[in-house]
Amino acid sequence: MALEAFTRSEPLTLGVELELQLLDTLDFNLAPRAQDLLRVLDRHPGAWDVKPEITRSMIEIGTSIQRAHGPLRDELHDLCRQLSRGARKLNIGIGGGGTHAFQHWSEQQIFPTERFHYISELYGYLAKQFTVFGQHVHVGVPNGDDALWLLHALSRYVPHFIALSASSPFVQGVDTGFHSARLNSVFAFPLSGRAPFVLSWDEFGEYFQKMTSTGVVQSMKDFYWDIRPKPEYGTIELRVCDTPLTVDKAAALACYLQSLCRHLREERPFEPTEDDYLVYTYNRFQACRFGLDGEIVDPRTKQRHKLRDDILRTLARVAEHALDLHSLEANDQLRESLFQGNDATWLRAQRQAGLPMPAVVQAASERWMMK
Amino acid sequence: MPDASWLAWPSLREADPVLALAAVVLLALVAADLAHRLLRLPRLMGYMLVGMLASPLGLGLLQRNDLADWKPLIDLAIAVLVFELGSRLRPRWLLDNPWLALSSVLEGLLATLAVGYLLVWLGAPMLSAMAAGVVAGATSPVIAMASVHELRPRGQVAERLLLMCALNSVLAMLALKLWPVLAAAGQSNWAADALGWGASALFVASGSFLLGLACGWLVDRTGRPGGHRATMPVLQIALVMLASTLASIWGLSPLLTMLIAGITARKLMGHRLTVEPSLGSAGAALTVLLFLSTGLLFTLDGLVQLWPWVLAIVVARLLGKGLAVMLLARPSGLGWRQALALTLALQPMGGLAVLLVMRDFAWQSQLPGIDIAVLQALLVATTLMQLSGPLWVQLGLRHVAGECSTEPRHGA
Repeated sequence: MALEAFTRSEPLTLGVELELQLLDTLDFNLAPRAQDLLRVLDRHPGAWDVKPEITRSMIEIGTSIQRAHGPLRDELHDLCRQLSRGARKLNIGIGGGGTHAFQHWSEQQIFPTERFHYISELYGYLAKQFTVFGQHVHVGVPNGDDALWLLHALSRYVPHFIALSASSPFVQGVDTGFHSARLNSVFAFPLSGRAPFVLSWDEFGEYFQKMTSTGVVQSMKDFYWDIRPKPEYGTIELRVCDTPLTVDKAAALACYLQSLCRHLREERPFEPTEDDYLVYTYNRFQACRFGLDGEIVDPRTKQRHKLRDDILRTLARVAEHALDLHSLEANDQLRESLFQGNDATWLRAQRQAGLPMPAVVQAASERWMMK
Repeated sequence: MPDASWLAWPSLREADPVLALAAVVLLALVAADLAHRLLRLPRLMGYMLVGMLASPLGLGLLQRNDLADWKPLIDLAIAVLVFELGSRLRPRWLLDNPWLALSSVLEGLLATLAVGYLLVWLGAPMLSAMAAGVVAGATSPVIAMASVHELRPRGQVAERLLLMCALNSVLAMLALKLWPVLAAAGQSNWAADALGWGASALFVASGSFLLGLACGWLVDRTGRPGGHRATMPVLQIALVMLASTLASIWGLSPLLTMLIAGITARKLMGHRLTVEPSLGSAGAALTVLLFLSTGLLFTLDGLVQLWPWVLAIVVARLLGKGLAVMLLARPSGLGWRQALALTLALQPMGGLAVLLVMRDFAWQSQLPGIDIAVLQALLVATTLMQLSGPLWVQLGLRHVAGECSTEPRHGA
């Protein structure tokens, strides 16, 4: 099967997707209510989209194409309001967070669509263990070559997004010690990790053809890479973020990525190389495990930096672009969060205050629903 | 009535009451499990069938008035289930979804009116027909809650079932308290009687509410940190026993009292409140006893003569509830299939023991002036819709709504 042509799209346009938890308001366990909520939201007046995810306790929402922080945040607020209203009508809660704190994977039910059943058949229990919740950010690029260049240039910033968005410290009722335990679930999939180091769309097409000829891959959807090209949208898609506990944080992360992409495209501070990936999994682990306190290695200088310091330096570097893109406020919000701690820290603080796990999930849900 | 004295084993009536109880409970457990495994029948139905078999309807091993000694235990079993039901309700949902609130009131009202008018059309006296309609408007909170334990559903239909059966039972209870006002209409001292019955209804409503609040508050205070988690079910059973007994002594409604107690305890304690199904194993044993007793109280006397009225009650309430649920399904956020499932699950009838405020099983004394034939038709319809009740709930929740996972579940 040949790779489809890369659709041209306006550079640096944004689209945000959020996978959300549907919760029972009695015990705050996951509730298999996706079909109910989708039916209630069937004719919503917003430009945003809402659709099912692999298990019936999840939904995915996607914004329309956005260019700046203000309108993106407004749309996410509108979406949050309407979703919350629909959820209250059905007596369910909605929550952010990369994992549900105490759900048991075996209780999850696969959403009844052909593709989800195919995934369930193929991956077995891994599919149900994939009841994790991420934020995906699409950034528009004009062509496939630019997409691949940007994808690989962004690889060294992947730990930034993991640490800033991390909100999955608990899995099945236990504190994992990780800030983002969600990515451990994603890593179990055979086609996860990083995209192959090719910088032209033609070369990528050859790779794709080889993979499809092995029968392992049928479409681009089968790759669970941290960043992947999305030819039908004309975007690259960053997939490493946990779903934050608020839509404000989701908007801020998307706009940080936007200004970073602008910085990389316009200033070309370095050319990506295969060797950038020597430290990729190590840095990724540090971000997942220790969050903003993680220590990463610069693939060029081989020097170690605190992740928090590296993000601070990068925020300063991209400030001019953030100003041009009207997203300074977003970057300021992220800068503040570097000292307050990420959402994983917030969740742990709730638990340490003596709240039982269901109460922690309830507090997170109330935060997301802006009660 | 068949005489069982020829049986080799001693009559249960003459045996030690505890021994008799233990024997029947044991028999019920084994029989219900067999019926469940062989015929896929809900266990609750098995308990009721064993009770029915031991009753004068079957082998006559026990008589209905034998239950008088067990009444405190039966009341406690009902109270335990209703307290648990209250602890699962979130009244705020009715404000968040006004269409649901309307649907909840309408389904009871339409069932009441449909049953009442159909009985009148078939020749029943108006007032008695409306009293039967009021009883038929309620769904059994006891069967609903116990079925939820057995089926472990998760979904809209199960949640609405619990909310609606709580609401329609309370409304039916209040309507029955006011019924004598209507029954006495036209009599010379009606005004004074009406005032008395009205004051009595107000006393029952407000007294039950306050007692429920106090019980819920006590559950919170006594369950504060420091209390051992393992003692929580014992504590809850003790407080439920206290409150339901006081409600009974003071002539209040144990139903309303325990619902408010459950709601209050949940509101005050949030996730600190752990309510085990039937409040633990002691409560589970009481549930078996409750359904056994329900079976013992079954009556089919007069079915041959009264079948048109019995059929009218069953069909009219099905149509009344179905119409209300279907009418408001989409505005309240329910799919058509779910609306059908909810209609089916709402069919188990509420027993008079739950709805009435009384110290014995003499229904007629609680409904003075009720036509004896209408009362008998109502009791027969109740028998049929209680015995088949768990099947209706299973059909609705498992087969139509698909809310019962077939895979093993683990506690959170």
